[in-house]
Amino acid sequence: MTAVLEVKELIYTHRIRRSIFSAPDEFVLGPISFAVNAGETLALTGHNGSGKTLLAKALVGAIQPQQGSILLEGKEVEQSDKKTRNHDIRLILQHSNTTLNKAVTVGNVLNQTLQLNTKLDEQDRKAKIEQTLVRVGLLREHYYFYRHMLSDGQQQRVSLARAMILDPKIIIADEPFAALDPSVRSQTVNLILDIQRDLGMAFIFISQNLGIVRHISDTVMIIDKGKVIESGKTARVFQNPQHELTQKLIDSHFSLVDKHFGQF
Amino acid sequence: MPLLDVKNLTLEIDTGTEFVKALDKVSITVEKGEIRALVGESGSGKSLIVRAIIGAVPDHWIITADRLTWKGQNLLAMSNEQRRMIMRREIAVVFQDPTSSLDPSATLKEQLEESIPAELLDKGRFWQRAKQRKDIAIGLMHKVGIKDHQSCMQRYPHEIASDIAQKFMIAMALVSEPELLIADDPTRSMESTTKNQILRLLGGLNESKGLGILFVSHDLLAISSMAHTMTVLYCGQTIESGKVKHLHRRPLHHYTKALLDSAPSFQVNLPPKSHLVALEGTIPTLQHLPIGCRLGPRCPKARKECVKVPEERFIQQHAYSCHFPLHLPSAARSHTQNTNNIGTSTKEYFSTDRLYKSDNSDSENSNITSQKTEGNEQ
Repeated sequence: MTAVLEVKELIYTHRIRRSIFSAPDEFVLGPISFAVNAGETLALTGHNGSGKTLLAKALVGAIQPQQGSILLEGKEVEQSDKKTRNHDIRLILQHSNTTLNKAVTVGNVLNQTLQLNTKLDEQDRKAKIEQTLVRVGLLREHYYFYRHMLSDGQQQRVSLARAMILDPKIIIADEPFAALDPSVRSQTVNLILDIQRDLGMAFIFISQNLGIVRHISDTVMIIDKGKVIESGKTARVFQNPQHELTQKLIDSHFSLVDKHFGQF
Repeated sequence: MPLLDVKNLTLEIDTGTEFVKALDKVSITVEKGEIRALVGESGSGKSLIVRAIIGAVPDHWIITADRLTWKGQNLLAMSNEQRRMIMRREIAVVFQDPTSSLDPSATLKEQLEESIPAELLDKGRFWQRAKQRKDIAIGLMHKVGIKDHQSCMQRYPHEIASDIAQKFMIAMALVSEPELLIADDPTRSMESTTKNQILRLLGGLNESKGLGILFVSHDLLAISSMAHTMTVLYCGQTIESGKVKHLHRRPLHHYTKALLDSAPSFQVNLPPKSHLVALEGTIPTLQHLPIGCRLGPRCPKARKECVKVPEERFIQQHAYSCHFPLHLPSAARSHTQNTNNIGTSTKEYFSTDRLYKSDNSDSENSNITSQKTEGNEQ
């Protein structure tokens, strides 16, 4: 079976020259290789500024990597091939309140997505939107709502609806839970797990919260300063971390958990 | 006597057509040397409580309280100057979102040195003062774990990482050697290593200096690893408060239980990719608050009685406000038959309870230790 998404030796170099006399500051991401199968979740974790979001941007085609290739179901996707990219790889960002257009209704946001990416006529589009809204646990009436009328959790649902309305092969979620409160976060986690199980979508999931990473991911990849320092099955990495930095991250997470259980 | 004692604090906000109770009879106390966690979701009024305590509230909001005292002095009856003196020397606040609450137009060095009170400088010649200020500032930076003070001092707030900014905010709060530190979500958006550093720092200060901390957050993992006591807030009502240990082992309010269950790290035998426990719905907005118990529409056990605001009840130190608490089967049953029975039946139920017995021995021990510390002070 070919993987849904396969990344081979991806390298992206970011250069800033602060003045003409100084040497340019360089941030090199990669080389990164990994593969995600259908119905699987890959979690990316690491310190702030380690290049996780940059990798997500490279995958959706917002930035152009200098080297390497991205294969979607065995076929290479070109940088210029925006059509497949937009259709099959979808992105959810951390703050859905800044990524949703506040001037148009939720229905319109979703409608634009369909208009630009599919050939459905107006009636089919409307039916598809209603179906997707219900799928993510909203009501049909939310079609007519504006962003400010929705709570944080509902906005996150709209983001998810926008990502999955095209029936993509893979969804990339950049810290989708960080801005949510505990009880709403659990709802969203459940929703994502349900959707994955029902539709067999692949997820790439970026998060700092190791508790949730451990819960929902199949494989995990730890990135530091643009390099992959460890990757593998989640259970194995969490039980037996190899790299020093991974050990540090996981130890500090578990020291908090242990302190909690130590009280009893 | 507790350091900070808030009893039935109500905050009303004028929405133009009516007054909305953003905080409804909130009670919270912080003892000397205690770490009290204030837990609640965003929009539940955590930050409003902080603002009401420090007095940073617009004039047209109405604050009423049975007690809002600092070491026995009534904060509400004070003049602004007196209150400001207390805020300057005895209570320190670390605000949410450090990079935006620092002054963007001044370097960190200027801001930190400005916050050092003149009393702390011993009376050298005036030209020696600047050096003293600098030394104190550097000492503070090291204390909170910023090793590379040289490069940080000359920078502006937008040039530093958010975890450094957070540590720096704590340094600024510690300048005046306060007795109470109010930390408003100090661990937000941090990876676990940095979070651990901050928690160790706060815990260390609490142990070495007896610093009381009001730790406002919704990071349950951080709270349960460090706090002694915990108050849970929902929609502007305090619904449960008590020792962290007791709340974890035996939550009485449905919301507390849902909140604790929502963290996957707390569940030992949770299979990966299984469903997490979650309450339906979301926290209501201020314009659409339900009457009575504000959890009502989301509560799995809500009944007719829940349209009345439940009174705060106590089982030893553990306070809760719910008509039908969890883990009290006999009490709940008798409540439906006869409300008068509830006091006696809870007593009976808990007289045989090991948990609270062990707590008694705990509190006796703590009494002894507190007597000791008092002796030392004398």
